[in-house]
Amino acid sequence: MIDAKAIVKMAVSDGFDEAVAHMYMAKRSYLKIANAKVDSIVTKFENAASLFVSSKKRVFFTNIDKLEKNDVQKALGRAKQAMPLLQAKEDYNGLAEGPFKYKKANPPDKKVRDISTEEIADIAYAAINGALGKHATNVAGTVLVGYSEDELVTSNRAHASGSNSEVRLSLRAFKGTNFSFQDAVASSRLGEIDAEKTGGDAADMAMSADKTGRIENGTYDIIYMPSPGGSLLYMTNSMACIGNVETGSWFTGKLNKEVANKDITIYDEGDMKDSIDASPYDSEGYPTQRTTLVANSILASYLHNYSTAKKYKTKSTGNAGLVEPNPNVMHFRHNKKVASVDELVRNVHKGILVTNLWYTRFSNYLTGDFSTVPRDLALYIENGEIKFAIKQKNVGSIVGIRVSDNMIRMLKNIECAADDTKQASSWEAEGEYFFMPSILVREAKVTVA
Amino acid sequence: MSVIANSISGADEAEYAIKLAEKQGIEYAEAYVENSYGSSYALEQGVLNGSAAYAKTGLRIRLVKDSKLYTFSTNVLEKGNIRKAIERFRGFRGVDTRFSPEEPLKARYKVADKISVDDHDLLADLVQVDKALSGRKYVKFRSLYGGAGRSMTYFTNSQGSEIVADLPAVSSVMSVIVGSGTETRQRVIQFGATGGFELMKLEDMERQAVADAENMMKVLEKGVTLGHEELKKIKNVVMAPEIAGIAVHESVGHPHEADRVYGREAAQAGTSYLNPGNLGMEIGSKEITLIDDPTLKNSYGFYLYDDEGVKAKPKLLVDRGVQKGLLLNREYASVLGTASNGSARSDSYSNEPLIRMSNTYLKPGKATFEELISEAKDGVYIKNFMEWNIDDTRSFERYQGNEAYLIKNGSLDKPVKNFVIESNTIDFWHAAKLMGKDLGFSIGNCGKGEPMQGVPVTMGGPTTLLSFGKGRS
Repeated sequence: MIDAKAIVKMAVSDGFDEAVAHMYMAKRSYLKIANAKVDSIVTKFENAASLFVSSKKRVFFTNIDKLEKNDVQKALGRAKQAMPLLQAKEDYNGLAEGPFKYKKANPPDKKVRDISTEEIADIAYAAINGALGKHATNVAGTVLVGYSEDELVTSNRAHASGSNSEVRLSLRAFKGTNFSFQDAVASSRLGEIDAEKTGGDAADMAMSADKTGRIENGTYDIIYMPSPGGSLLYMTNSMACIGNVETGSWFTGKLNKEVANKDITIYDEGDMKDSIDASPYDSEGYPTQRTTLVANSILASYLHNYSTAKKYKTKSTGNAGLVEPNPNVMHFRHNKKVASVDELVRNVHKGILVTNLWYTRFSNYLTGDFSTVPRDLALYIENGEIKFAIKQKNVGSIVGIRVSDNMIRMLKNIECAADDTKQASSWEAEGEYFFMPSILVREAKVTVA
Repeated sequence: MSVIANSISGADEAEYAIKLAEKQGIEYAEAYVENSYGSSYALEQGVLNGSAAYAKTGLRIRLVKDSKLYTFSTNVLEKGNIRKAIERFRGFRGVDTRFSPEEPLKARYKVADKISVDDHDLLADLVQVDKALSGRKYVKFRSLYGGAGRSMTYFTNSQGSEIVADLPAVSSVMSVIVGSGTETRQRVIQFGATGGFELMKLEDMERQAVADAENMMKVLEKGVTLGHEELKKIKNVVMAPEIAGIAVHESVGHPHEADRVYGREAAQAGTSYLNPGNLGMEIGSKEITLIDDPTLKNSYGFYLYDDEGVKAKPKLLVDRGVQKGLLLNREYASVLGTASNGSARSDSYSNEPLIRMSNTYLKPGKATFEELISEAKDGVYIKNFMEWNIDDTRSFERYQGNEAYLIKNGSLDKPVKNFVIESNTIDFWHAAKLMGKDLGFSIGNCGKGEPMQGVPVTMGGPTTLLSFGKGRS
């Protein structure tokens, strides 16, 4: 087996100006829960590498499928074949110059690495039994268990390595066929997942839909719980990446301009210790960091790699992406905090508590106009009290409402948040984690079925 | 090694896996090998921001042991790795999974790429399209992505099936934002086919990119925004094939996936308004007949055998308004006591096959475009869309017109901005009154499952007159 250093050496010997070799080994198991039983398990094991090379400002990216010298030569062959066809990227300014020192990441949980299919099924059954014990009538979900190791070497003397573990339990508990509640818990440590409690909590929420009603088209205050709120706002980090800014994002032309409520802070977290996704280094081996994107109403920064930072006469934010900068982890904070979701509810005259959503689609990424569909459980609020679970049609678990909004308008109208920040995730934003509290957004447009 | 699979790297290991699984007393085993390669380009604002190529070989094994379904995938094709995966699977408490009995098949098929995916200069095409757009001042942002590649797969199972497929594919996605003053509009245009570059011609991409950009500007500069009272009066909507296609896909195709109907996807891509108790229900007017057909030649969703080795065929989902069939894999065919209709697909060797659509379309009628507009008399014609969504039971959908026009006295009139169809699925399809003869398809990559899998599909239909009796709110 060949190592990352040798891959870079081969690339440089072949005449490329720069090279980045990123080797990774990942094992991930996905258990599917359906109809309150374990349905099936999928295990994926991959041991491979990616290779980035540049030559006279022409850049090229490929994979190394097998970690053998022969496969590296094939990858370099693809690069050599492609180079004459490529245009120079005149604004490319090269890779970051190492060596770098990195912060120490939390060690991975070895129990996650060594877990068996039976043990993964045990997690699922703890969650299922937790939900059924609280009278849920059906349960669906996923248990994801992942372990990975990686090593990154660049021709500019960056050398980094790390390992990571991840456990995620996503659960949807049903009350009959009409109502459900879905949420997910995640941690890098197996011992921190309380599957039975997660199942029980999901069932409690689903069972709370004891009174149902319909609402009219109109303007409503919306409380988004961490998962739906995060699945909307994690896109702020993506849209602050300079590649998206250059091709049309709602942050294009908005640097140092007012984009949000004055009490909001949004970070891009690269090296946050508790984050499952965070890594001490980015894809060119540059140390990651916390970057403040939004503070005091203002869009404070775009996200850069070394090359784009040089183009814009600023510093890398540790967001390479070799082709283009990528976001790290979105972390939302609000200075105006109340104790709980219940207290947010008390601040609403006419509104909706949204517990989950999906199908967020934009009519224009430059303006940030979008609509999104609340699902599972949405509760109507009047005069500070939850009145009923919204059910516009008697078809399965449909809620039957749609929120139409604009990202900048939404950011400006997030009036306060609950003190319940969690590392949330959503099927809508698959593969992403974000640190997000429940938030109260004033006056969004809602249409109904 | 099988003669059929003699050109596939990893076929030996696939056969080794099947034999080993049989020795372990496993009830059913299948192996799927993928050899694929391709290249892609990202041209943004005229700058080649990314160029990439890949070549991969991987193996997926599916086992049913004590009626429990387990899938293992890897790019490490060492026999020790495969043996470890098979031997270590000791089952779990859970759903009893059975597969429908299917006839073992041996086949090898290939789609030709007349203009080869290996030789054609796709980047030059993208540069040409970009030039056509960049010369227009009102085009503010342009991002063009294109890719081409080939996938060779080998499927074999413990029941004796052996199937090799050789499928080249081409695709491109173009995002264009036009603007004047502070107002802008965005459109995403996709091309794709199974085959070579003869199916994705530069002149077609260029023509559509330019036409759509020009038309968006017409809407932006001359379009009217309808007020609440005007909207309420609109009862007739003529939707072009692009809108018919997305509606077919979202509100008829997805709910006909049996794994949604029976709850397997409930925590991921959702459920369905169909359930085991209401199959055979009336979904729409007698004008609508919907079909999913993977065998459409050179289509983006083309295949002749699915990823469980079942022969593909056209599937009638809705016949003259009445729900008829579901999309099935072997697992749900077994649940229903029938045969699979070949709807199992995976986006790569590394993921499990799921029940998926392929090319799903609304059967055309006989009306000409002029007849449809004339019949509508007053209303709105929607040519294409940008924003759309639907709830997870597929009952409440929305399509926002990007390019749309008022219909007045049976003729197209001025452009209209942001006209939205927001409707309940059953009302929507009952409003289908008259179908055009101009069946058209658009392409997409459809997402489902966890981990998310995107598979190539087409979505089609004719220009269709929807007549909402009660008007719209």
